Amino acid sequence: MRPFSYERASDVQRAVIGGRETRQGQTDAPVQFLAGGTTLIDLMKLDVLRPARVVDIKGLKAAHASIEATPQRLRLGALASMAATARHPGVLRDYPVIAESLQLAASAQLRNMATLGGNVLQRTRCPYYRDTSWAECNKRDPGSGCTALKSFNRNHAVLGVDDSCISQYPGDFAVALVALDAAVELTGPTGRRMIAFETLHRPPQGKPNVETTLMPGEVITAFEVPAGPWTRRSLYLKIRDRSSYEFALSSAAVALDLNGGAVRQARIGLGGMAYRPWRAKEAEALLVGRPLNEGNAMAAATAALAGARTHGGNDFKPELGRRTLVRALLQAAAMEA
Amino acid sequence: MSTTSPAADGPTRRRLFEAAAGLAAAPAIAQAAAPAPTVRKSGAVDVVLNVNGQDHPLTLDPRTTLLDALREHLHLTGSKKGCDQGQCGACTVHVDGERVLSCLTLAVAVQGAKVTTIEGLAGPNGAVHPMQQAFIDNDGFQCGYCTPGQIMSAVACVKEGHAGSDGEIAEYMSGNLCRCAAYPKIVAAIKQARGKMERG
Amino acid sequence: MADDTGLIGKPAVRIDGVAKVTGEARYASDEPVPNPAFAFLVTSPIASGRVRSIDQTAARAVPGVLDILTHENVAGEITPPKAPDQGKTTTTLESDKVWHDGQIVAVVVAETFEGAREAAHRINIAYDVQPPAASFDSPGAQEEPRKLGPEKKDPVKGDFATAFAAAPVKIDARYATPTQHHNPIELFTTTCVWDGPKLTVYEPTQTMYGLKAGVAKQLGLDPANVRTVSRYVGGAFGSKGMLTSRTAWIAIAARRLKRPVKLVATRDQGFTIATYRAETRHHLQLGATPDGRLTALRHEGWEVTSRPSGYNVGGTDTTARMYACPNVATKVNIVHADRNTPGFMRAPPDTPYMFALESAMDELSYALNLDPIELRRINDTQTDPIDGKPFSSRSLMKCFDQAAARFGWAKRNPKPGSMRDGDWLIGYGCATACYPSNIGPAAARLSLTPRGKAVIQLAAHEIGTGAYTTIAITVADRLGLKLEDVKVVLGDSDLPPVPVAGGSNNAASTAHVAAKACEEIRAKLAAAAVAANDTPFAGLDPATLKVTAAGLVGPGGKREPLDKAMARVSGGPLEVHVENAPEGLKPGALAGLYQGQADMVRGTARKDVTAFAFGAQLVEVRVHARTCEVRAPRVVSAFAAGTIVNPLTAYSQFMGGATWGLSSALHEATEVDPRTARYVNDNLADYLVPVNADVGSLEVIMVPEEDNRVNPMGIKGIGEIGIVGMNAAVANAVYHATGRRIRELPIRIEKLL
Repeated sequence: MRPFSYERASDVQRAVIGGRETRQGQTDAPVQFLAGGTTLIDLMKLDVLRPARVVDIKGLKAAHASIEATPQRLRLGALASMAATARHPGVLRDYPVIAESLQLAASAQLRNMATLGGNVLQRTRCPYYRDTSWAECNKRDPGSGCTALKSFNRNHAVLGVDDSCISQYPGDFAVALVALDAAVELTGPTGRRMIAFETLHRPPQGKPNVETTLMPGEVITAFEVPAGPWTRRSLYLKIRDRSSYEFALSSAAVALDLNGGAVRQARIGLGGMAYRPWRAKEAEALLVGRPLNEGNAMAAATAALAGARTHGGNDFKPELGRRTLVRALLQAAAMEA
Repeated sequence: MSTTSPAADGPTRRRLFEAAAGLAAAPAIAQAAAPAPTVRKSGAVDVVLNVNGQDHPLTLDPRTTLLDALREHLHLTGSKKGCDQGQCGACTVHVDGERVLSCLTLAVAVQGAKVTTIEGLAGPNGAVHPMQQAFIDNDGFQCGYCTPGQIMSAVACVKEGHAGSDGEIAEYMSGNLCRCAAYPKIVAAIKQARGKMERG
Repeated sequence: MADDTGLIGKPAVRIDGVAKVTGEARYASDEPVPNPAFAFLVTSPIASGRVRSIDQTAARAVPGVLDILTHENVAGEITPPKAPDQGKTTTTLESDKVWHDGQIVAVVVAETFEGAREAAHRINIAYDVQPPAASFDSPGAQEEPRKLGPEKKDPVKGDFATAFAAAPVKIDARYATPTQHHNPIELFTTTCVWDGPKLTVYEPTQTMYGLKAGVAKQLGLDPANVRTVSRYVGGAFGSKGMLTSRTAWIAIAARRLKRPVKLVATRDQGFTIATYRAETRHHLQLGATPDGRLTALRHEGWEVTSRPSGYNVGGTDTTARMYACPNVATKVNIVHADRNTPGFMRAPPDTPYMFALESAMDELSYALNLDPIELRRINDTQTDPIDGKPFSSRSLMKCFDQAAARFGWAKRNPKPGSMRDGDWLIGYGCATACYPSNIGPAAARLSLTPRGKAVIQLAAHEIGTGAYTTIAITVADRLGLKLEDVKVVLGDSDLPPVPVAGGSNNAASTAHVAAKACEEIRAKLAAAAVAANDTPFAGLDPATLKVTAAGLVGPGGKREPLDKAMARVSGGPLEVHVENAPEGLKPGALAGLYQGQADMVRGTARKDVTAFAFGAQLVEVRVHARTCEVRAPRVVSAFAAGTIVNPLTAYSQFMGGATWGLSSALHEATEVDPRTARYVNDNLADYLVPVNADVGSLEVIMVPEEDNRVNPMGIKGIGEIGIVGMNAAVANAVYHATGRRIRELPIRIEKLL
């Protein structure tokens, strides 16, 4: 860990001023916001992130940690902890996919520490990114190459990758957000703006070191999830080697609006598969107007993984992803909602 | 770096982003309301850590984690370093009553918060906490290294209301690895202590 | 054997329990030392080559950096360490040579941990890189048969080739197990403090005297000037059973700075600065008659090791002896690669080799259409099939019968894929567990006060096995004291030696020396009492007198207060220093104990009997029919391991062993990148060990067993056996659930999709 100066920001204006030199997603960003710290402190110890200034924004909790569930929408303050959100009655009742995605992530301790804003910005678990002794990593050191392409890559992404980076987005909550058409509220030096959550994370496009579309100084202040006829019939299915405390090998966030036996609308996000939080719109479209049976679920899953590119160790992933999605769809269809 | 001796490198202090008066009144933001640590010329910071009910003034490298501050500066070695990267739970302590990982917490960031460690769990008369007794009774450990973290996590697990069933306990205790694999006995210990904690 | 009035065999909570639950128990890195400097290791990112140059400029510029050790400034200062088998091993700062990934290439010492870590990250080292061989099949890996000797033999019997050719039913299969790392939750730490010529090393170890002797030899010190302290060890499982290279360098760093130096190595460094369980391959051939009798068994194994080391575990010593079979052939090969040297890890030979044998036995049961437990019954034997000696005791089928009854094995429909609960396929599997019963020499100092308080001191190891408590139980039992009246001091090389806490010998070794010390105290008091005139015992046979808290007790309830009996002998506390050399020990082994050697009487190499503990392990797995994750909600294990000193802590050890087995079967594998020979998943998020939610019902049955041939107290040792059958039991259960025979561990989702 490199030396840094530590500062506390007690309101968002001070935070964005303090953070105006942030270059999100870049190892050499000279300023980093500190919230729960579960990613930042970890990666600073590993010498991957080397900020000269750390701006502690936990003081923003007072103004930016509330959770409001109304008939129209769910608004989540970005400084709310994962734990507080996962146990919120309105979230549990009306947005089970969100509650489950949080509940199945990390551990009780980490969920107490981690904030929602920090959680969606967590960095990949790619071992070649996290360990600076691997010389080649385009995300950490642009232009150096990608070790994962030719080394052990069991848990690397198969969707949304290119030859510059096949690292996987490791989170769960973001998969639920992307499925539910969430928006994210950003506060920056020039004020507030809302963007579609889907556009927060960038595709690699040869520049995997730039991970998000955040502007310098911008801090996530809230998430908004529109209520839909599908949000109550929603779930998050996470497949992993052990029963808990593990990143997804494969996951699916599914929300369904059913009309009798047929699908009126579907929302699908995939985790454990992709470079960034992944929305499977082709699969959603295939389901509309059709009964949710095994065959149609499989057709949708096939479409969802159609673009998969594998690299040896993760050859099994498209098949696991398809099966995960089929299981999640059938399970959601059987929910009492 | 000197740890407890104050004023080794002079008086130049600046206070950064002091808490706004309006926010200081809000009870939910104890951390924000507390004064930020003061920074010395050398880059070291003066910080007051409240641990087990006692204030400890320290001068720390800002990089010092809460875990290292406890172990190397306050000599409270009950909290253990098992991975130093948030993957094992051996360093679990309570900050403002919530279980957190002290290895991923900067010491400077908890100025103004109340930290409780395994050393602070026993009663004022030295009697062990019902959870500690339950771990002994059920042989809820072997080597004992993960045990302080398990117990801090277990106490929180009960207080959170996550100790309803064996399955719920196991899920909510899964952030504490036990390589000796005392898991079923840890679950049994929590069930034993649960009743006493709820009554007591 | 335990009698009903004694404490041996009665469950007792740990006497060190309060220390462990309050944080008072001091593990090595918890020991307070004055004004320590902090060390941080720099390790190589390449697996083969040489250090070309080291640029320390940026590292030295970090405030508070005190010293940087590299081969350039300390190469000649130590004698290289030895491998776990006492043979050659890799080196570190002795030269510029890089033998493996993660080798220590520099040690940075600074005023603070934070400064040392930063400087370690800022040091710039250039390497000349050679293409490395990662493992089996890698270009450049060198295979050879292992070297045989008196301790390493390939068990052989009859004429395998002819018998196998003629066998009506055959199994011919290949199996593999992965690289695994112990990953105790306590990291590899070392704190060194010099006081003039005297060095104190605080380091978690399973071998107080081995560490002391090893460090002394490396540094050219008189062993009398080296003290090792390790009062509590935060998990070991074999990883702390031998000297590693770090210790001497930290001692040298402390000597150069004239100041204590403290190292807490990182989790990832632990994968490469200590040892591991090497990956293995197996070729198993079984021949049998149609009614299930084995006629031929051949087991050939391959194990990876480092370039210089011949270390191997050679589990054919076990698998050749498991079942009655007249024709046996075995062979073990080693494959040298650019890797760190492997070492002991929980049941080192048995875990991988029994996976192969017990999987093949399951395959044979299907080929014969026999219940797998019945197949084992048909081939059970009370005689060592290799050399014809009797087993000291073998209660294998009792274990199977009790475990099967408890498990509900009778409900098993043998057809693969036939049992189901909703979306989950259910499989039942079983396997034999075993572990050789070993005992070593040991020494102890025991004192008894006239008020009936005892203190026993010995350099034993508390690695989670409950050593404090089992030793206290033995003393309390033999001196008729309450458990709380016995104090146990261990974990310090200034105390009398005991063997390495490995090979499941420690309960037996320490119990026998403790019992012997008690007997010596009793004998002294009794001899004086029968010779005196002022006692009710005058003229009696001293053997009829017993020591209890209330005093000396004789036939017919005659009694004399302890203080009076003791006044005759010692005035105050009576202290004895005893050594115990179990029968069959090699000459010189007791003296060797003081030099840190670990000669033991091994269950597979005795003249009179073959001594093993046996067990049966039954597992229910559930495999999701669609997404194929494997869960193991239910395990029943039964073990017959002679005298169980403390059933409470024994249960924990058996249970922990069984969980290790689940972990080994389903989770654990260190991924070795074939291109770079580097460990990729060197952390606890990616190297998976079970969490609480992975473990459901884990029952342990302790089958009573009296064995007066294994050793006088009938203790067989229990630390390792719990893992041994689980690999195969899980794999066999997965086959039963799915019809998929997985011969390469771990059994992960992608192998079942």
